[in-house]
Amino acid sequence: MSDAVMGEPTPIISRKDPRYQVTMYRHVGVDGAWTLDYYSSHGGYRAAKKAIADMGVPDVIAEMKASGLRGRGGAGFPTGVKWSFMPPVDGRQRFIVCNADESEPGSFKDRYVMEDDPHQLIEGMLIAGYAIQASIGFIYIRGEYHLAYERLLQAIREAREAGYLGSNLFDTDFSFDLVVHRGAGAYICGEETALMNSLEGLRGNPRLKPPFPAQAGVYGLPTTINNVTSFASAVHIIDKGAAWFSAMGTEDSKGTKLYQISGPVARPGVYELPMGTTFRELIFDWGGGPSMEIKAFIPGGTSTPMLPFSDEYLDTPMDYGSLAKLGTMLGTGGVILIPKEKCMVDAMYNIVRFYAHESCGKCTPCREGVSTWLPKMYQKLLAGLGEPGDLELMEEMVTNMRGTAFCPLADACAMPVQASFKHFRPEYEYLVEHGEPMYPKRSWWQE
Amino acid sequence: MKVKVNDTELELAPGTSAIDAVFAAGYDVPYFCSQEYMSPIGACRMCLAKVGAPRQDRATGEWILDEETGEPKIFYFPTLMATCTTAIMEGMVIDTLSDEVRGAQNGMVEFTLINHPLDCPVCDKGGACELQDRAYEYGSGLSRFRFDKRHQEKHHALSELITLDRERCIHCKRCVRYFEEVPGDEVLDFIERGGHTYIGTLGEGLPSNFTGNITDICPVGALLDATSRFRGRNWEYDHTRTTGLDDASGSAIIVDARTGRIERIKAALNAEVNKSWIDDGTRFGHEYVDAEDRIKTPLVRKEGELVPVTWEEATGYVKAKLEGIADKELGIVLRADATLEEGVAAKALADHLQTGQLDHCPRPKASVLPEGDAARFTDLATADAIFVIGDVSEEVPAVDLRIKDALKGVSPPASLPHGVPIADLRLKERMPRKAGLLTVAAPYRVDLMRHAGRSVCYPVGGETAFLSALVKLATVEDELSEEEVAALGMPVDEGRALIERLAQAQNAVIVYGSFVLASPAARNAVIALAKAVKAKVMVMGPMANSYGLEAIGVMPSHARYSYQQMIRGGAKALILSGLDPAQDPSVAEALKDLELLVVHHHFANATTALADVVLPAKTGYEKDGTVVNLEGRYLPVRSAPVDGGQSEDFTGLVRYLGEALGVRLDGRSTRSAKRALNHLLAVDLRDLPDEGLLAKAKSRPLRRVSVKEQEAVSGNVLLVPSMVRPEFVSRNPQLRAAFGDVALCLHPDDADQMKLVGGERVRLSVDGTLRKATVRVSETVPQGIMLLPATPEQPVGLVSADLATLVKESSELEVA
Ligand SMILES: Cc1cc2nc3c(=O)[nH]c(=O)nc-3n(C[C@H](O)[C@H](O)[C@H](O)COP(=O)(O)O)c2cc1C
Ligand code: SF4
Ligand code: FES
Repeated sequence: MSDAVMGEPTPIISRKDPRYQVTMYRHVGVDGAWTLDYYSSHGGYRAAKKAIADMGVPDVIAEMKASGLRGRGGAGFPTGVKWSFMPPVDGRQRFIVCNADESEPGSFKDRYVMEDDPHQLIEGMLIAGYAIQASIGFIYIRGEYHLAYERLLQAIREAREAGYLGSNLFDTDFSFDLVVHRGAGAYICGEETALMNSLEGLRGNPRLKPPFPAQAGVYGLPTTINNVTSFASAVHIIDKGAAWFSAMGTEDSKGTKLYQISGPVARPGVYELPMGTTFRELIFDWGGGPSMEIKAFIPGGTSTPMLPFSDEYLDTPMDYGSLAKLGTMLGTGGVILIPKEKCMVDAMYNIVRFYAHESCGKCTPCREGVSTWLPKMYQKLLAGLGEPGDLELMEEMVTNMRGTAFCPLADACAMPVQASFKHFRPEYEYLVEHGEPMYPKRSWWQE
Repeated sequence: MKVKVNDTELELAPGTSAIDAVFAAGYDVPYFCSQEYMSPIGACRMCLAKVGAPRQDRATGEWILDEETGEPKIFYFPTLMATCTTAIMEGMVIDTLSDEVRGAQNGMVEFTLINHPLDCPVCDKGGACELQDRAYEYGSGLSRFRFDKRHQEKHHALSELITLDRERCIHCKRCVRYFEEVPGDEVLDFIERGGHTYIGTLGEGLPSNFTGNITDICPVGALLDATSRFRGRNWEYDHTRTTGLDDASGSAIIVDARTGRIERIKAALNAEVNKSWIDDGTRFGHEYVDAEDRIKTPLVRKEGELVPVTWEEATGYVKAKLEGIADKELGIVLRADATLEEGVAAKALADHLQTGQLDHCPRPKASVLPEGDAARFTDLATADAIFVIGDVSEEVPAVDLRIKDALKGVSPPASLPHGVPIADLRLKERMPRKAGLLTVAAPYRVDLMRHAGRSVCYPVGGETAFLSALVKLATVEDELSEEEVAALGMPVDEGRALIERLAQAQNAVIVYGSFVLASPAARNAVIALAKAVKAKVMVMGPMANSYGLEAIGVMPSHARYSYQQMIRGGAKALILSGLDPAQDPSVAEALKDLELLVVHHHFANATTALADVVLPAKTGYEKDGTVVNLEGRYLPVRSAPVDGGQSEDFTGLVRYLGEALGVRLDGRSTRSAKRALNHLLAVDLRDLPDEGLLAKAKSRPLRRVSVKEQEAVSGNVLLVPSMVRPEFVSRNPQLRAAFGDVALCLHPDDADQMKLVGGERVRLSVDGTLRKATVRVSETVPQGIMLLPATPEQPVGLVSADLATLVKESSELEVA
């Protein structure tokens, strides 16, 4: 593909487009890329210097807004707009927080950025910290990410010594430093308000919104919170300009994004692609195609409702709007393939069990529905004890869980279950009727 | 703002929650987690409703209209909303009746019940259970959950006073939030997560003076008052709403009695006084009423023995004895929690017998009536600067909680058609507190200091000097002398900052209690300070009706007729109600010389042992009458159906004695007393409303007694106020188990020196009276001084103990 001969250039929506350049993920996999030496010899901290020394705060925010970047943590809120929500500077401490709790099954993009390119995150947080005028940043990192934690600590030490963190950065009066906080193994602490509670040493329960973090965040002070790759994107937006970023992607989804693919596929992993790339391109051209017969795929992490693996869906562009139209979501962009031979009820139980284990227990539908009753129903079916009426009960239960809970975790469990019923109800019916699954290889994942 | 609930349109203030709009409109919606006076959190998800609102066009500001009807178009939220956490908007439409909403509520009841044991037949909450009611109204009546329910501990003692059934808990978080939001004592939290979540402590009980309130607010039978557990069903109790006589707050309580016995006490709502909270002393301190050794009949000493007689015989005996006693030689003394009616009766009797020897006890040396601008509880709760001298958390715990309201900076909510808002959206979990507005001063570290921006420990016994130094800072330019600086207990700059804060505040309140009242000079200094900084004052009198009894003049006609004089030979005959002065052996000696000693009391004690006549007294739960709280609010005292045998209050005593004397005295019944009070005070006390009546502040007592200021006081024991009343503690076993015995607190260094360890039981002669106590060692006590709870006979102040008399009783370790 090339620029249209006349008029506006066509947007870049495929990695095969020769104009496309890998940015965020370019150093991942390179030995030693996590050192400051490597990073600075590849243009490191150039963007931070540009933002802090040469651009005013409003310019940075304007650039971010113009880029069209939407938060990469799952919800897709425009990042520049979020930064502009901070109240005027009034002498109170302000915080920038990095959500590095990445715990959604199917998502593993943040991990490799932090392991192999931690300076990129530091630089992104420097830019964001400057934009919202915060002098302290927290990185809340998933507890299991030990290597990433060590590399981040090492990188922060190096950055401090080199004067990229500390006071009067780039000879300005802007000061900034980072604190890394390890999570203790709770998915809910990826939800931004639960994360702040956890950071403060409180129970990891989500808080009521409003007030939003910008008004009352960490310790009740103005706070902005973003995902790891939202920060990483900011580095390149400042470096290369908003126009470069927004030249990629579709109407409502701009730029480049880290997609992940897992399940029976030739080359599972993380791929940086322009937004609007199709599932087909990810799965076949970059993932190398399925290694087994596939019946469904999850488009963006387990909380997003699955789609049947058919031509009808494979050509869908991976952007916010197209997936919303199909009743599902882009989520974290973590695509999971589900093989035909896998019992769908068992696959769903695996997912439900995850959410059941991770429910925080604060609200009734999630504690009693997601965490207690629903997994028991799956256990019953899988034990071959299903009875007529069970499926209707499950469907009704899931309807009662959906849209009624305090935070989106219950929906994250209810929606994929609903999708599995929508597309694969015969498998459930078969199991109830025969007492054993249509695809009986229960221990499939272990083999 | 206009909102529409189902078919009802109504106008409500902005900021009102949707759930309150529903109730204000006269509809119902189920809820478990919201609770009046606490933050709404949206956890139970029972209060779901379909909610929508019109929208304005961003560009034009015009309402977007529905094309068909031409009315503003209602945009509904995509999901059902928890109405407790949704604020109303102009034109909001709330639907609570549609099938969609009912279906969701039904589903939520089902979720709530799957793990609930449904052991209602053996649950103390049965019949008064929010879950039972809501399941009945909003549930389907059937369970489709065919699995084992979650099994957890069913009898977990959170403390000696509160038992938790973890299976019944529905995780509304009211109890957890309560501790953080109301007393600010974070002693309870959720443990584990998801379906395994349960509530628990750090394993050290519930260290707070306000734990019992969680048993009132728990919507199910998970948290139960251990004094009443398994003692009755809710429909068997007689509920009597009355006023607690445990302290001067006038807190509203409900006494639940069954077959003549008090089983439990709950907090009642008085929005302007205690809201819906009471302290543990008030709640759990009732067991003494039913103590084995309660005196239930009159007794007259015959041949050295007290033998049961009728009231007529007893009062006939008194009458006969009185004939030989000259006017002015009879003394009459009431305990300071006696009602106004009892006070009138005592006065009438004293007048009839022409004696000026009339008093109430404890009566501090200084007047408990506020001078200047008197502060109400609502002033305290909305104050922007508060200066406390004393230990409010022990003295009048309700004051402690209202101060904590002020720290949140949220004024008391306006009343709605259905009462106190269910979900006051201004309240939040873990609100930042404005500690800076609070200064607490006391001679030792007190609990409220944890919440105060400025804490001062001035020298023990140094109230007058401390306050005078502050007055000087507030009124004259001069530098303080060295002694004055020492008396201040804080750097002079801090003192100046305090004065400035008070003076600049719009609504400053100075709160003081017994430490200041122990000295008229200290009291005058605090009044002068209040005038100088234009602060209102709140005075914590030592007992429930200290204010009222002083105001109506249950006072000696001369200083030499005071109680202290009467019991030391000043009177030839005495009628003592509710007191036990003979604990002091020297007083006992003096009492032996009396020609007549009449003791009106609930229990046999050192003084009844000397009495000629013992008359059974009603407790505060058995009386009808009126008390005046520290605000000057007349509050009704109503009798619960408790079996007190032939007990009478002082009006009954005066009725019987009047009959014997052949006179009809004022105060022979509560009715006649109220008539007399109407004359005296120009208030009609018949049918007082529950929330009481704030009379015009009356700061001029009918009688004033001048006292000589003592010279510089000294001593080694500071008698201090205590929420748990030491005179009843031995008959309040549960309260004693929770809060420990009467404690003798001392500094670790002093304990080392005296070879005492915490938990040891000791006896010690304090100011002549042998006191038993358990040693408690604490850094909060200044060196060289020991703290011991005051009693009516040994009021707050500095006294001397003879250390040579200290005896260790045993060394069993303290339980609590
Ligand atoms: C249950 C739940 C879990 C979440 N976990 C994560 C997570 O692990 N990482 C993340 O970046 N965002 C997570 N989010 C989204 C965050 O709440 C928040 O939207 C995000 O951190 C904002 O950053 P962004 O604007 O850069 O996307 C989660 C949300 C929910 C409801
Ligand atoms: S114990 Fe009672 S008040 Fe506490 S969370 Fe459970 S149900 Fe609510
Ligand atoms: S969610 Fe519990 S009352 Fe609204």
